Amino acid sequence: MHTKTLIQASGLTKSYGSRTVVDGVDLAIREGEVLAIIGPNGAGKSTTLDLVLQLRRPDAGRVQYWTQEPARHIGLQLQSTPFFPGFTALENLRMFAAFYGLRLPDSELMRQLSRCGLEEAARTDALRLSGGQQKRLAIAMALVHDPKLIVLDEPTAALDPRARRDIRELIRSLAESGASIVFTSHDMEEVHKLAGRLVLISGGRVRASGTPEELLDRYQVDSLEELYIRLTDADPQAT
Amino acid sequence: MLTIMNTMLRALFRDTHTLVWNIVFPIAMLAGLGLYFNDGAYSYRLLSGVLTTNILFGATMVTAFNVMAQRNRGVYKLLRATPFRTASFVAAMTGSRTVLALLVSACVTLMSVVLLGVELNLLSIALMLTVLLVGTVCFTALGFLAANLSKDEGNVNMISNLMSFPMLFTSEAFYSLNHAPQWVVTIGHLQPFHYLVEAMGIAVQPQGDASGLWLPLAILIGFTMLCLVAAVLTFRWDADQPPFWKKRQAGQQAASM
Repeated sequence: MHTKTLIQASGLTKSYGSRTVVDGVDLAIREGEVLAIIGPNGAGKSTTLDLVLQLRRPDAGRVQYWTQEPARHIGLQLQSTPFFPGFTALENLRMFAAFYGLRLPDSELMRQLSRCGLEEAARTDALRLSGGQQKRLAIAMALVHDPKLIVLDEPTAALDPRARRDIRELIRSLAESGASIVFTSHDMEEVHKLAGRLVLISGGRVRASGTPEELLDRYQVDSLEELYIRLTDADPQAT
Repeated sequence: MLTIMNTMLRALFRDTHTLVWNIVFPIAMLAGLGLYFNDGAYSYRLLSGVLTTNILFGATMVTAFNVMAQRNRGVYKLLRATPFRTASFVAAMTGSRTVLALLVSACVTLMSVVLLGVELNLLSIALMLTVLLVGTVCFTALGFLAANLSKDEGNVNMISNLMSFPMLFTSEAFYSLNHAPQWVVTIGHLQPFHYLVEAMGIAVQPQGDASGLWLPLAILIGFTMLCLVAAVLTFRWDADQPPFWKKRQAGQQAASM
């Protein structure tokens, strides 16, 4: 089956001073897939995403997009919770809708908050929401313009099990609706449950990529956790 | 753009820094000093001083705090991932601040008319509006610059104070510098607040000759351009991005390797 490639990155390299953070990464993101990018802290996952999304300029390499205006069709959730201080959840969502050129009525914004389980938190200062609610608001902001590609940077990090489960269900329902999703994670169980394909980055390089089943078979290991530990053992940055 | 300005303006009215520096401070200062001195001639200087000080502290300090907080929370990084242009965002932020400044200035002016007996004609009001608009843009850009040079809240407080207070003290916002040492007067002439105060002082005079206003206004516009260029050149998208002078050092190190 031929699947359209949305983003094709080749030879991406980025250094800060003498330290090479991303070292010749090739990455393809395909339409309709759920792709997990995994790797230790400091492995270069977030920087790779920044380069792919043009948030940082690579020292070398190139990125090709399926569209002339990628920013208009990509929704991004960052690791941090980038809300306007003093703004409610509803106001933050309204601001980001406006950044995509959308002037949505409150009823539509409320519908979008409700999809992420935030209808009761709409009028609360976004910075006073719980960790799980903040992540869900960040995801709601990434979805506000109905993007073709959704990029989630550690969407379940530092959350309690209930909040993690809620976000996984949200990601699953987005995937079932046909969205293309890229997410980063340290949780191998989560990756196995959600991802159709994964890319393991360590020391700024792609160490392995494929479907979970292919990788388990190729490396003769029983779990993704075992695979992760084996392939990241040599990484001096691994924590 | 209107949605963004509108949302920002609503949030400004809930922001403690804005409430204190932009709304409570100027009104309290006008009422307190006006009733204390109770001098008809001084009332005009007081009105001009309060309006300009409100711009200095409101636009510079509050903008600096807001920009730094938004940047450190990653708002600008996420903004960069959207098709919205940064220049439009800065314009929306400056626009909402200008609307707020005009609203507060209208309240302060009305209070000065009612409480202190200040008389203004239409020409004065039109000139005051012009000076207010240019001043707000200039000092908002200065606020961006202060935020660009700061890395955290303590830092932004210090830098915006270091910018604002010397400008206030070397200006004639509330007192004459006729008997001040020459070096104080010279320093005063090198900073934009002096020209804002001078232009506003002429604008509020009811029967005065307005022709003296154009030179300080032109110099203020010049400072505004400089501040805008400096704010754009030093703009930082996220907290991880080093300030411009460190970027240059990093570039030199990389080149020498």
